[in-house]
Parts: sequence; structure tokens; C-alpha cells
Amino acid sequence: MRKKIWMERKGRSLECVRSVYTSKIISSDKDLVALVFYGTEQSKNPRNSFKHVYVYHDLDTPGAGRVQDVDGLRGEDGAKVAAKTMGSGKTNLGEALWCCSNLYSDIKLRLSHKRLMIFTCRDSPHEGDSERDRQARTKAGDLKETGVVIDLMHLMKPGGFDVSIFFCDVVSPPEDDAELGLQMEPCVKLEDLKKRVRAKEMKKRSIARLNLCLGEGMNVAVGVYITALQARKPNPIKLFKDNNEPVRTKTRLYHTQTGSLLLPSDTKRAQVYASKQIVMEKDEVDVIKKFSDPGLELIGFKPMERLKLHHHLRSPVFIYPEEEMVTGSACMFTALLKRCSERNVFALCKYTRIRNSPPRFLALVPQREELDEGQAQIAAPGFHGIFLPYADDIRTLDTPQLPTASDSQVDKMKEIVQKLRFKYRCDAFENPVLQKHFRNLEALALDLMAPEEIEDHTMPKIEMMDERLGSLAQEFKDLVYPADYNPEGKTANKRKPEKKPKVDISEDELRGHVQKNTLHKLTVPILKDACKQFGVKVTGTKKQELIDALTAQLAN
Amino acid sequence: YAPSWGESALVLCVDVGFSMSNSGPGQEPPFEQAKKVIQKFVKRQVFAENKDELGLVLFGSDATKNNLAKDGQYQNIYVHRNLMIPDFGLLEEIQNDIHPGGQQGDWLDALVVCMDLLQNETLGKKYDRLNIAVLTDLDSPVSPDQLDIITGNLKRAGITLQFFLPFPMDTDEAGGGDVGGSGPPHGGKGLSREQQQGLDLVKQVMMSLDEEDGLDEVQTFSDAIEKLSVFKHVEKRPMAWPCTLTIGSCLTIKIVGYKAVCEERPRKSWSVVDAQTHQKEDVKRDVVYCVDDDEETEVPKDDTIQGFRYGSDIVPFSKVDQEQMKYKTDGKSFAVLGFAKQSLVVHHFMGNQILKVFAPKDDEHAGVALSALIRALDELKMVAVVRYVYARNGNPQVGAAFPCIKEKYECLMYVQLPFMEDLRQYTFPSLENNKKYTPSENQLSVVDSLIDSMMLVEENEDGEKKDLFKVNHIPNPQYQRLFQCLHHRALNPSAPLPPVEPWLITALQRPQAVAARSRAPLENMKKLFPLKEVVKKKELKTSKELFGKGDVYRTAVWKQVGLQNSCLEKGRSTEQLFRKGKVYRTVVWKQGGLQNNCLETGRSTEQLFGNREVYRTAVWKQGGLQNSCLETGRSTEQLFRKGKVYRTAVWKQGGLQNSCLETGRSTEQLFRKGKVYRTPVWKQGGLQNSCLETGRSTEQLFGNREVYRTAVWKQGGLQNSGLVTGRTGFQILNIIVTSLSHIINAILRD
Repeated sequence: MRKKIWMERKGRSLECVRSVYTSKIISSDKDLVALVFYGTEQSKNPRNSFKHVYVYHDLDTPGAGRVQDVDGLRGEDGAKVAAKTMGSGKTNLGEALWCCSNLYSDIKLRLSHKRLMIFTCRDSPHEGDSERDRQARTKAGDLKETGVVIDLMHLMKPGGFDVSIFFCDVVSPPEDDAELGLQMEPCVKLEDLKKRVRAKEMKKRSIARLNLCLGEGMNVAVGVYITALQARKPNPIKLFKDNNEPVRTKTRLYHTQTGSLLLPSDTKRAQVYASKQIVMEKDEVDVIKKFSDPGLELIGFKPMERLKLHHHLRSPVFIYPEEEMVTGSACMFTALLKRCSERNVFALCKYTRIRNSPPRFLALVPQREELDEGQAQIAAPGFHGIFLPYADDIRTLDTPQLPTASDSQVDKMKEIVQKLRFKYRCDAFENPVLQKHFRNLEALALDLMAPEEIEDHTMPKIEMMDERLGSLAQEFKDLVYPADYNPEGKTANKRKPEKKPKVDISEDELRGHVQKNTLHKLTVPILKDACKQFGVKVTGTKKQELIDALTAQLAN
Repeated sequence: YAPSWGESALVLCVDVGFSMSNSGPGQEPPFEQAKKVIQKFVKRQVFAENKDELGLVLFGSDATKNNLAKDGQYQNIYVHRNLMIPDFGLLEEIQNDIHPGGQQGDWLDALVVCMDLLQNETLGKKYDRLNIAVLTDLDSPVSPDQLDIITGNLKRAGITLQFFLPFPMDTDEAGGGDVGGSGPPHGGKGLSREQQQGLDLVKQVMMSLDEEDGLDEVQTFSDAIEKLSVFKHVEKRPMAWPCTLTIGSCLTIKIVGYKAVCEERPRKSWSVVDAQTHQKEDVKRDVVYCVDDDEETEVPKDDTIQGFRYGSDIVPFSKVDQEQMKYKTDGKSFAVLGFAKQSLVVHHFMGNQILKVFAPKDDEHAGVALSALIRALDELKMVAVVRYVYARNGNPQVGAAFPCIKEKYECLMYVQLPFMEDLRQYTFPSLENNKKYTPSENQLSVVDSLIDSMMLVEENEDGEKKDLFKVNHIPNPQYQRLFQCLHHRALNPSAPLPPVEPWLITALQRPQAVAARSRAPLENMKKLFPLKEVVKKKELKTSKELFGKGDVYRTAVWKQVGLQNSCLEKGRSTEQLFRKGKVYRTVVWKQGGLQNNCLETGRSTEQLFGNREVYRTAVWKQGGLQNSCLETGRSTEQLFRKGKVYRTAVWKQGGLQNSCLETGRSTEQLFRKGKVYRTPVWKQGGLQNSCLETGRSTEQLFGNREVYRTAVWKQGGLQNSGLVTGRTGFQILNIIVTSLSHIINAILRD
């Protein structure tokens, strides 16, 4: 859990605060946020020991109410409200920082991150009062000592915002020396804040910690991570209609005849094959999935070209050593990673994630660390574990035999491809379904008239594409399609099957089918007619139900 | 076996004549081998539940039963089963009723009986394939004078033939020859005169039916057994997905997509049946919703609506509104968004399928257009980034269409790419730039030798590459095992399940040659890379003990001593089970928290009402004192019946002054019956000043009926670097024999 405090100099920055609130609500709703104004006329803080400091929102998890509060302070009307409730008065940043430090210490939870953002457009808040400047610096120092990161979000100011006058001593130094945070354009930072990210933040956590067994007695400890997983809508919560309170769901099994509740041990599992029921204990059903204990077992190595594009069943996992479990793991892992990568091979492993999970084979593809110019990691060191399909997972297809394109046709298409080329980034596409859902929710929560529009990046930019292609599209069509060909027409051969004439079936035939267990070969209408003919009562309309009813009747 | 999706009819024609029982010492008689072949085959058909019909004809039998038998003709040929869909009855009959006969049968006569059977029984019905499989050692005299008529009839009726023999076709004719690995039949005597004659006839028949590939349909028993050991899923007819590929507004190409790779799952799932009656209808699942008040008042399903969390609020959002406001798509789509370098796309593939995209079968213009795109992409090493929508109102995907050019066909291969929301941008500490982990040259070279010794792709002397371990040739072991167990249970309802078949275990292991080669490099690695398992500071092991068979009572023992500043805390957890009525009352516990007059109490109650388990969960709260600290902890438990998996309790604990936080989680699962028991390991974050606490939560399994009790417990943490916990535990066996039992008894009496 991360906890943040915003100190707020009223003004344009309210927009940022709002967007921070709404982003937090979706990305990490457990984070605590407080909103504090300084330089106010009125004071409001826990012990009212600080003058001109107004704690507008105490440290807590944000909800719709807070966003609406902030909305209430925006615009002309909002300014009036703000003037009325808080007013504006003497600025004492030191007091404000002290107040914030109390907010932090009043929280009884351990906070993993503490961040304080100061929004202001005044580069010299105390107008040269060195005593207050000194006090503010001391307090800032105290805060930083307790692990609070102080950020300055300065707004544009005529004549430029001069950080060196005062704020350079207040804010935390940038994390790495290469990049001086202070030099960052203020608008960029603010824009970043305003840009709302509607995606749930996921904590880095391994889904399994296993041994990678290279051979007998050679176990390297590794963690298995998920670095990409299809994000879905958060689960809905069932509410009682009358008061909108959450309800709990209880699932029970009971015996249809006696009505008594059944314990798990009162049930077994069954499957039916060729009308024979096969029964197993629940426990047996679980245990037949077990082949080996959880772990990764090295089978061998293969050249990378043996890994095919179509070797894909689900998103891959990421493997990284766990030095804390087995010392020496990281070193051996590094050696393996380095040599696999240099020799362009992958490791083939048998992967059993948990007990009673059947084995899958993974291709461990080495990935070495890559850093960008700013020393930020763009590729983490470790192996990607790609799930390999079994024989059952690969389908046999009838591949059509069709003519291939000539060189001139291919060349024309190459021109088209070149015209429409772009630089793919894996984080460039937002999921419109999720984005729409979050905006809908936001609109409902905040009583907005309409949800914010989404920009759907999954839609082709038709106009731009047409413009870039110009006459190329037509030229290509002239090359490949004859004049009378309509490439958009519905695929032919979709004739509706002719209605088959009604077939009556004799009792003998029917009995024959029952005997040979071949009733399913008849169509549903015929079966229905047969039921009528023999006065068989049927409860359902499913084929199996019809067959069962007929079999029951005619078997006697 | 070429994939055929229509239904077929097949007659198994099995030689049970006396020669089939002859075998050399240590060899399995051909009769037993043939029986295995048909058993495996029928088993496969039964579980695949395909609708192929099967007949069974025996020849060389003592009895005679067939339509053609008269005037002493077609003797010793017994139609065991007419065409029928195979079932367990047939499997049982093969296992119990088919024995070697004492006669000799003419396999050509038997063939005629089979043809007659096929033709009579399939009259007026449509089949994609008619087939006769003959299993014989050919060691009986035949009258070949009708041969031409027979082959003529086979051809006319479109019946295909297969032969399964105990010996390979190229066995030395002269006799005594020991060609090939399989060895000569009949104790090394080579082929008899009848067998040689039979083999010639077989060749003649097969060649006349299919000049080119006819002989491929003559196989040995052992080959067939090997092939049939694998349970095959019925090939599904691939579902075509017709659509149009669009580039901008005016360039369109008609396409058809097929799933090419996708995790295959069994078609049948387990249903829950009553343990006594085995009736599915006797068990009903009941879902109730209840308000979170003391009475747990139930509310009807219709009185509930859906809501979603929005920060600290829950926003009601009815299904109808969701449906109305949600993102909508207006139909299938395969629209190109642009083209990108292949190298930029290959990092993360999403989704769980690979789609192959072709032009429609009968549309050569679309074929040419698509071919131009495929080849252009291939030459430029690029992909098409496309918007993919399966159907109206389906969720849109962004994916990459790769060019794929094979000898026999070309296509686009589509795979889903991630959305921004799907990616988790984790950073991991550097490895190669960390001096502590940098391997030495020696270490690297031993890794090299390991890689060399374990290469699975080898080149033979002809420069041909051979892959020793092809995953895509291994059948999914999960289903092989499932069907093996189902088959076993079907025929032996009360026997325990068999072990995994040896061939399957071998198929999943490192190939022997590789294992042998890697031994030496692995030894070297062991020397150069010291690996040491870290003794866990906190002992996460849980002690479990199971006493006796019936009323097993397992108690938690837990102890923890975390000291510093001479603080001590004690906690106790007691549990009792009153059997018989299965009333269940649990847990009282108390924890003294000391130092500076802190006191913490916590209570967890669970009750089981009535005959069987109404399950009430514990909510508990704990007052934490000193300096307005408050701690709350909650334990939630849910019982997911179905899988009887028991999921418990995630719980969290408020921490203390100065940003202390403690969290603890307990997960538990109960694997039933087998009394396999998984216990929680839980951890607790430590407090200020690097204190760490660990605790254990215990659970118990009671007897057969498994009432289940969970321990919930809690730990206080204290002020200013003081922290401590200590706990003592105790055990109760069967009846209350504990030091604290009087306390509990007192409470229970309330």
C-alpha cells in the first residue's frame, strides 16, 4: 500500500488533483491519499495546532465523494466556495509540511511508499522571509529522513518558475544522478499527471517458487512470474437491491430426495461413456492429474529456430532466480542465461506448477537485460517460458490449393505495406472494452451526465490510410482482381439446405436403431415424429432426451 | 490414418485358430497380441465416442455362425457381433469371452463373410468409409481360386482392407532368416509354407486394391499396439471463420480463418453424484444470497443487483445498464491497422489460440491477393497489425498476422497481442551487472559443455537434422492418464487406480541418450557451482499428524518466540469437536499481550448448525491498545463445494504506530478422502526495527466426515521497536486432554 499526500496550492492544479484521484481509484484503490491546502485563511487540521493549513481530505482511500468535493472547488463557483470555506492567508510551508508529517504518523499502517506532491505557482512562497524558508527546509529534511519523497509540481508562471530560489532545497533529489528531476519541464510533469491511466496496478509477485532441476541434485531455485495477462473487468459485487449493501453468496449441496445437506464426502464424481457411468472419488479425480512434484525439469536444449511462431497456447511466464531459497542460484542462472543467449538456444523444460497439475513443456527463451539511455530497464534479465502445444493441441486443417501471386503483384503489395508502416509499441493499444467500463463506472459514481468518450485505438484510421495509399489500392486491385469480381460479396456457397422431405420410419427400423444404439443417426424431426407415433412422452427437445425416451420405450 | 470426419463402418476379422496360440519360449502368442490390438482399438473407439460402427468376426473358431454357412462351406467362422457402435459390453466380451479355438479357418472365406456383413448391414445408409481389418498369422491353408472375384467385389463396394500380422512383411521367405529386429515367428522357425503363400496373397490383394500405398496397410501387431496405446481425441471438423481482410476503405480480400493451435480439452466434464446411489439427480446445488447481518438473512436472487467497487465506494450497476452502456462492436472484423516490423511484435503473445487465415477454397482471385500480401510481408519481414472481432458484440482484439509460407500452402498466422492493461511492467534486479552473480570463465565453459551434451537436435551423417524430443508429437499426458483410469475403473469398478503407463512416463522424460551424455558435465557443474539450500529462518513447515483411521484429530501446535525487550505474548488456540451430532463448536481463544498493560483479545467462532454443516464464519476483531492503536483482523472462509476445495482466509491485520503494518495470509486447502492435507503457511510482515514474526495456523481434519476447523489467530505488535510474540500450543487427541480443557468446557457449557 502506498500512501500519498498532496499539498495543494489552489488554482489550476485542482484539475490534476482530480485526475490523480480518479486514476488512483482504478489503478490502486487501496492507496491512501490526503489533500492539504496551505496559505489559507482558515485552519483545519487534527489538533488545530497549525495556522493557515487546511486539511481538506484526511489520509484515506479515495472514493466518489472526494472527486465530487474537488469538482466543487473548480470553476468560478468553486472558487467562491473555496474562498468562503478556506480563504487565503499567510503562507507557511514549514507548518504545512509539519502537518503532513503528522498525518503520516497518525496512520497506524505501515506504508510502503510515502510521497508528497507540492502544487504551486510561486517560486518564492515566503517572499524572502528567511526564517520561514529555514523552517520549511528543516521540516522538509525531517520528512525526507522518514522516507517521504517530496515532489514539486510547479505550474507555469509568467517569467518562469525559478526552482533554485527556494524549492531545490525542499524537494527530494532525483533517483538517479543522470536525470535531474528539477530540470524537467513543469508542464510535462503535469501533463503526465493529467493523463489518466485506467489500468489496475499489479504488484510484482511470483505465482510459484520452484526448483529448476538440471540433473540429479542440481536444483536452481527460480520464481515464476506473470508479466502479461489478459486484464478483465473487475468482478462485480452482488448487492441487496433495497439498501445496496453487499450480500454474501453461499453455495450448498443437498440431497433431492431427503432434502438433507450433503457434505463433500457424500458425493462422488462421474462421467458417462457409451452409456456406462464411471464413478471416481473426488480425490482420485484430482490425483490422476499428478505426474510429478512441482518444479521445472530440464529436458535439454534446442536451437532457437526450432521454436516456431505457432508454438503458443497462452501468454508466457517469466523465470527469474530466487537466491534467497538456494544460494548460488543466481550465479548458475546467470551463466545459463548468458550462454543460452549467446549460443542462440532455448532450454526445454517440463513444468509442473502445483501439486496435481499435469505437466506442460516450456521453451525457456533467454532474454538479457536491456537498458535505455536513462538506465531504465526495458527488458528484464531472465527466461520467457513459452508453453508448447502437445499433439492434441495442434489441429489438422484442409489447406486450400490456390494460385500464388506474381512478382509484380507482390511488389505492388510491398508498396502498400511500406505506405502503412508504423512503429508498433506493445503498450500503445488500450482495451476499449475495459476503458469504456471504467468510464461508465466513473460516470455513475460521480453522477456525470454522460461517461467520458473513449478513444478507440483498435479501429483502423480509415481516412488516413486511404489518403496514404492514394491510387495504390486501386492499382493493386487491377492487378489481382478481374473486372467482374466482387471481393466484398458474401462468400458464395452459402445456400440454404433444401428442406428434406418428411421421412416416416417404421417400427422395425426404429427397433433396429435402438438395438444397435444408432438412434443418433436420425434427425431430430424424425425422432420427434417417432416419439409422437409411438406415444412416447418427452420432457425436453434435446436430441439426447428424445433418444433416451425412445430407447426406454422400445427396449421393453 | 487420414483424418476423416464422416462416419465409418469397420469389421474386425480375427484369427483365433490353433496356430495363433503357438509361440516361442518367452514370446507372447500371436493370439494374445491380436487380442491386445483389438482391445486397444475398441477402447479408443469407446472413449472417443465417435459414431463409427464396429463388427467382430472370428475365424478358426470351434463354433460356426454366419449367413453364408451352408453345405459345409464357410465353416469355423463366427460372427461375434454385427455392426454396432462399440460399448463397454464389447470390451468385456473381448476380455472374457474370446478364447483361442482349436480349428483352422480360411482367412479368405472369413474376408467374404466380413464383406457380406458389411454390405448387408450398411444397406441404404451412408458411410464415409467401409473397412475390414484382418488379424491373422496366415498359418492356415486357403483356397485362392476366388481371389479375383473377391478383390473385384471389394473394389466395387469401396471397401478398404488392412492386415495385421505377427511378423513384418519383409520376413525372409526361405525360413530361418533372422531379418529385422522383430525376429522370426514361431520360435525362430521362419515362415511356414502356408504363411509364405498367405503373404503372397496378401500382397496380391493389397496391390490390386491400391497399387501405390496398398502395402502400407499391412502392419505388425506390435506396431499397431504401439500406435493404439495413444488415446486420440476425435478430430473435430475445423470450424471455418469466413471474413474479409480490409486495408483502408477500398482494399478487401476474402478470407477464411481456422483455429490451428488451441489447448484441447476433454469434451466431458465430471458431474457430481451421490456417493451411495451414484445418481446425478440426487444431488442439487443451491446458491443463496444473504445479507451480512447477524441473522444472515437470506434474500432472493431477484432482489440482488450487481455493483462494482469505485475506490472506497461500491457503485450499483445493473446488468441491464451494463449491457446498454458497454462497448459494442458491429460485426466480425479483420481490419489492418498498419504494418510493423516482425522484431517489434515477438515479445508477448496473448490469447490462447493461433489462427490460420487462408483465402476461400474456391476463390482463386482472393487466393492471389492474399498470396501477394503474404509474400510482401515475408520479404519485408513485417506483420500486419489487425483489429480482430470474432462476431457481433465480441470483444475486439489487436493482433499480429504473420506471413507463413510452407511447401504446400501459404497463409497468414494470427496471434493476439497485449493491450496496455495486460502488461505488467516489472523490473528485476540486474544479473549480469551484479558482481556477486557473475560467472567465471570456467563456470561458463562447463555450462557450454552441458548445453553441448544436452542438445536435443542432432545432425546425422546425411546432414539430416533429427529432433530427439518433439513436444508436438507427445499426446497430452493428462488425457492419456484420464482415459487409462476411466477404462480401468469401467471394467474394474472396485479396484484402485492403476499406475501411470510406463511408455507415458518415458515419453515425458529426458531421452536416455541425452541423460547419459550429460552425466559428466553435470558432475563438473556440481563442483563448480556450489548450490546451498537456505535453511529457512522462519520454519514454515507445518507439523501434521494423523492419528488413527476414524476420528482423527489433528491439533495444531504452534509456538513462536519473538523476543526483544523481554516481551512475551502467549496465545492459545483450542478446538473441540463433539462428534456424533456433528455439532461443531469452536474456538475460543485468547491472547495475552503483555508489556505496558496491553491486552488483546480475539475471538473466532464457527458453528455448524443442524445435521450437517451450515457453515458460519468467523469474524473477529481485536482491540489493540496503547496509544489509540486498533487492530482489526478478519478471517473469511469460503467453502467451495464442488471441488471441495477449501479456500480460506486471507486476512490482514492492522498494524501499529509509526507506519507498522502487518499482514498475514493463510491459505488452506483440504484435499479430501485421501486425507491429503495442505496446510497454511503464513507469514507476517514484521514491524518496525526489523522485527519479524512468523506464525502458523493450523487446521484439523476430523475423521471421515471431515468437519473442518480452521484456526485463526492473531498477533499483536507493539510500540517502538518492541515486538514480540510467543506462543505455546498444545494438542488434543481425540478427547479433550489438554491443559486448557477446563476452560473450554466452561465456555462450551454456556
